[in-house]
Amino acid sequence: MQITGMLWGSKLLNYVGFPTSEVLGAEAKTDQIKDMIDRWGTIFIKPIFKGGVGKKGKAGLIGKASDLATAMKEKERLYFVEHRHGNAFAKAEGVTFESAIPAQYEIYASISDNTRFRAPTLTITHHGGMDIEELPPDKIATIPFDALTGFKGFVVNNALNKINAPNEIISPLVQNLPKLWDLFHSYGMATLELNPIRMMVNERGRLVPVACDFKCMFDTDDPKWKRLDLPDDLDTSSYSDFELEVNQLRTYQGQSDVFVINELGSITAMTFGGGANALVTELLGDKGTISSDFGGNPPYQKMFEISRIVYKHWLKQTNVLFIIGGKANNTDIYETFRGMANALREYFNTHGPQPLYVVVGRGGPNLVRGLAYMKDTLDALGIPYRMFGHDSAMSGVVNYAIDIDNWMSQGGKEIIAKQMGIN
Amino acid sequence: MTENSSYSKGVDAFPHFYVGINSLAELATKEDRVCVLNILGSESRGVTPTSHVYSGGNIVCGTMPGRSGSVLKTKIGDIPVYNNVTEALEAGHQFNVAVVYVPPSGVKDAVIEAVRVNPAINKVIILTEKVALSDARIIRQYGQRHNVDVFGANCLGIADAHQHVRIGGALGGSSPEESLVPGSIAIFSNSGNFTTTMATYILTAGWGTTISYSSGKDVYIHFAAAEFTHAFHNDDRSKAALMYIEPGGYYEHDLEFKKPVVACVVGRWKDKLTRACGHAGAMAGSGDNAGEKERWFMNKLGVNDIYSPENPVHSAKGAVVTNIAHLPEALTAVMKANGVEPDFEPKGNLSLKPWLGNNQDIALPSNLDIDLVEAISPYKEQLELLTKQLGIALPRQTMKDASGASMMDPKTQVSKLYGVSVLDAALHTYEDNLVMSLVQKYPDENGRALANLALNAFVNQHNTPALMAAEASREAGNSPNTVLSSSMAILGPKTAETARKAVRILLNLFKGSELVNPSETSFDFSKQLSAVLADDEAKAVLVSSEGDQCGQMIFDAARNGGAKSVFLDFLEELAKQSGAKLEGQIVLAAITCHLGWRELVHKRLSMTTMINMPWHFRIFSSIIGTSVAVNRQDKESFCGVSNLELMTSWSFTETAYLALLGKRPDKEALFAFSVLLGLIVTNGPGTISAQGAKGAVSADGPEVPERVQLNKAYVGFLTHTGYAHGGNGFEAIEFLLHRFKESGLNEPGNDKHGLDLSAMALEYAKEYKAYKTKAKAEGNLSYAKIPCVNHPVFKDKDVNYDPREVFVNDLFKKRGAYNIFLEFYHELVQALFKTGVSKKVYCVNVDAVIAVILLKILWKPYADGEISERALETAAFTTFLYGRTIGETAEIEDHLNRGRNMDTRTAASKCSSVN
Repeated sequence: MQITGMLWGSKLLNYVGFPTSEVLGAEAKTDQIKDMIDRWGTIFIKPIFKGGVGKKGKAGLIGKASDLATAMKEKERLYFVEHRHGNAFAKAEGVTFESAIPAQYEIYASISDNTRFRAPTLTITHHGGMDIEELPPDKIATIPFDALTGFKGFVVNNALNKINAPNEIISPLVQNLPKLWDLFHSYGMATLELNPIRMMVNERGRLVPVACDFKCMFDTDDPKWKRLDLPDDLDTSSYSDFELEVNQLRTYQGQSDVFVINELGSITAMTFGGGANALVTELLGDKGTISSDFGGNPPYQKMFEISRIVYKHWLKQTNVLFIIGGKANNTDIYETFRGMANALREYFNTHGPQPLYVVVGRGGPNLVRGLAYMKDTLDALGIPYRMFGHDSAMSGVVNYAIDIDNWMSQGGKEIIAKQMGIN
Repeated sequence: MTENSSYSKGVDAFPHFYVGINSLAELATKEDRVCVLNILGSESRGVTPTSHVYSGGNIVCGTMPGRSGSVLKTKIGDIPVYNNVTEALEAGHQFNVAVVYVPPSGVKDAVIEAVRVNPAINKVIILTEKVALSDARIIRQYGQRHNVDVFGANCLGIADAHQHVRIGGALGGSSPEESLVPGSIAIFSNSGNFTTTMATYILTAGWGTTISYSSGKDVYIHFAAAEFTHAFHNDDRSKAALMYIEPGGYYEHDLEFKKPVVACVVGRWKDKLTRACGHAGAMAGSGDNAGEKERWFMNKLGVNDIYSPENPVHSAKGAVVTNIAHLPEALTAVMKANGVEPDFEPKGNLSLKPWLGNNQDIALPSNLDIDLVEAISPYKEQLELLTKQLGIALPRQTMKDASGASMMDPKTQVSKLYGVSVLDAALHTYEDNLVMSLVQKYPDENGRALANLALNAFVNQHNTPALMAAEASREAGNSPNTVLSSSMAILGPKTAETARKAVRILLNLFKGSELVNPSETSFDFSKQLSAVLADDEAKAVLVSSEGDQCGQMIFDAARNGGAKSVFLDFLEELAKQSGAKLEGQIVLAAITCHLGWRELVHKRLSMTTMINMPWHFRIFSSIIGTSVAVNRQDKESFCGVSNLELMTSWSFTETAYLALLGKRPDKEALFAFSVLLGLIVTNGPGTISAQGAKGAVSADGPEVPERVQLNKAYVGFLTHTGYAHGGNGFEAIEFLLHRFKESGLNEPGNDKHGLDLSAMALEYAKEYKAYKTKAKAEGNLSYAKIPCVNHPVFKDKDVNYDPREVFVNDLFKKRGAYNIFLEFYHELVQALFKTGVSKKVYCVNVDAVIAVILLKILWKPYADGEISERALETAAFTTFLYGRTIGETAEIEDHLNRGRNMDTRTAASKCSSVN
């Protein structure tokens, strides 16, 4: 779950009293927009991308207006704008109107857990408003702090001193930045980034940090962010129906991580273990429909449900149903294979037979009972198969699955269909 | 390096944070004493006893809230359980390791509490997955402040093959000795599964392990690659290390190695992902992705490429692989460069070795058709036991309102039996469908001939108690289903006792043999023959000195008909060699073995079903036989046809027709009759007749299948039919009789009948409209409906069709067969629309098809006065029972094989009381 932009960012920052720019959503009426322009002189019009995508500014996707007509024109231009950056592609779903904050200084500040320090870490520079990667290291302060005591003003102070930040910005930042710890730690965030924070002069002539852009990533394993009651569809654009359905089964016993690799793939791999997941997905490449990790000893019922969902979404287009994992330490092969086999039987009962070839590679507790159960099921359904133990190299088994897939794509599928009595 | 943490000083090599372990030899020692938190949780219950036994009893206690006083049983003694750590300490236990199996939300507090109350704790191993990052931060800092080495979370712990100690999780699974073979290689792995998999892989190159350490791959890895590397350098046993590294994080960035290392860096594809799949910490930025990590390790190890068998790039410092299958070879190459030989002789190899496979009779290209290979021990022995097991054993479950045999497609309303739609079943003969109901596949020509023989051999019920019972029931005025229930009640377990014993013996004899297709009579059964000749008890069941007439008759008929069967050949040879004869029941057993063998070998059928088959066959014969009156059967003939002739030249479909209508059908009548029987095979498990059959099985207790009385299950089916279910087919016949009684119709199959069907239909529609209007005006809403028109599913279009009726109508049209009654129905639905009785043109539903086919067959004898209206009704009902027997046989066997005792009952809470 990731949130970018000030529409929701300002709401979250308001929880901890961190000042933000003024924000209106796409539904804002013209008199509200006009009022914002009247008060601030200039406003920005920014497209809303669910899940977030970088480099919007460089791509010319941030509009600027000092009159209502321009603002509305920019709204029209950016409302459904498309943007590609690296592997990420996004289509806007609306715009925000944000007040332009006049400032002399722009600050970049982020909190995340840094694996070099193995501690939560503040990254800060007063040369903000640009890509942090483009700055020389001596202009950035990266300071870890104690998670037990939390993010304190002295951490900010030390950090800014280290990079020789102007004195006038230190005090307001020391006062305000520690508020972010509450948002970060108490609401289950993995990263929080404000860039830029613009240092605005307030009515009393003092500098106030005003967050003008927002990005955060929540930790999916942390239930705390659910307390924020964010709308369900805030970050769903990047999930397929299949992934959403499987995610509903996410519980702590047993992994149920899936990722759609190729919607037109022809090998569906039920993969067990993070290691197997990496190896199998790498070797299958675009032939794989999904990348999955069902390790962690899922109980029977969970495995059955997961299998039902996987088969429902992918079996029709699948040549090879590929069940693969290393030599399991803890995952009960009998229970997991029973789940997959029964779901397969149910699929055949409800959808009719499907020309398939099954390749299995596995080791672990209750292995032979598990293989036997699968064998009985496949024999009963008339599905051809090969099953390998853990004494065959996993990569060899993957290559065998690929060879079978190639054969099936070149007419083998029809041969199997004929043998199974499928017209 | 944490600026403000108040850590204590541990190992000198880590001046900025606390690390207590100086050598890998200290990771898991014989002296470590363990307390397992949440010891009775489902994960720990499976894993902890194995760890305890493997380590020689290193677990002193466990905790589980509310379970104080319980124990976790292990082979070397019970482990006591306490409510919490304090209580365990108060009981006098001393331990320095806490192993955490607590669910994720409780992990942080469990660790804090354990460390707080027991200052002796210096290692905490967290197995739990999905620990929140915000908790991991706190655990990190808390461990640092209290001089504790934390492992995990989401790790599988540590195993030391030299010291024979495993603490934490399940490295090596349930048989740790298989993977944890002492040697000289230390393993560090981000993947728990691959820790063991790598240990197993390097055995194939002759390398064993010192330490196997699964670090986990959460964002926080507390005892990480740097700590491992330092301890590896200080462990004299470890000559080299394997490191399995995933993308994300900078843990490996600054490593410096003093001993050889082979690193497996994976996850290039993960660069494409936009969120974590698998390990939470394996999400990489631009600087810590797989490509970068490959470069880090290549620089450290002095190589310029990834090692592969084709390009074996390595140095004395090490090698980098991206596929774990290349580890053994790379490791050996690196060690060779250091002048170090493997620890022992290689154990096995990693080539492709399928343990199990089945092409299902498909010709695979030779490169894909890999021969099966004997599995390694102990799996080999376990698999041998498995291959000896004949048939399938299905898992038991509640089968109330559920079926593995039949289903109805709610959209098309077409039911299927074992995947065969009733429309397809209608194109098969009665005997084919009966065999399919048990074997789940249609027989081939040879099988069909044998089935006809076996079914016809026992159809004559002359002088049998079953026929007597049926006759008495008939005399008492019962409906056909009640009559047949009476005869079925007589056909108890003893009816086919000998045949079932014979099946059991035959299956045991041929179990594990190469026999797949029993029609291939070239099979050499000399081994089975010698076995049975040496077994007097088995021999006494299969052959006897007298035999019986039936046995010889069936046998001769089979021989004369050219039927081929290994089982019949075997019996013949056995009789010859032992100078004995065969009984009919034994030949029946051999035939049913023949029919089911292939499916049994392919694990599509259970032994239970195979053993039950002769009993079912006897019941099939008796259903036809006892539906015929006593006076139409004598010792030598059935309905005027000699027993021998029936066996040698009649199909069972013809026999059923004979029983019902007293004559042999011509080709068209036989086809129509088969279609009729096929169409009514099943309507899914929800029908009353299926419920009756299933309930009867459930009540006997299918979990002890040999106790279930099959005949009683048929009684259940039969008593759950009646005038409203099964007998209602007559309503349509009666309706048509009234329309055509006075019409002078002579031949309903002749389209030159001279009748104006359109006018007849219109006249009736008007008549019906008047009747309906009057009834409604009188407030009578239960006025008579016209049978077999309209359908709750096929009703929304302007002109409606029941696809099943369309299918059959087309079928007959293609054969050039005409049916005046069906044509009348088509005119009738139009007329009902024209007269305003219906707002849309109703469909003619499938029940009409059944009625019109039957009436076409029976019209002539009825018109000629040979049979009464009452006999017509009996014939219609009996036809339904014949056809539905097919589906219910399948339900009975399905429930018997899958169901649980009394699983069709409804819980009292779901029943309602009605006043």
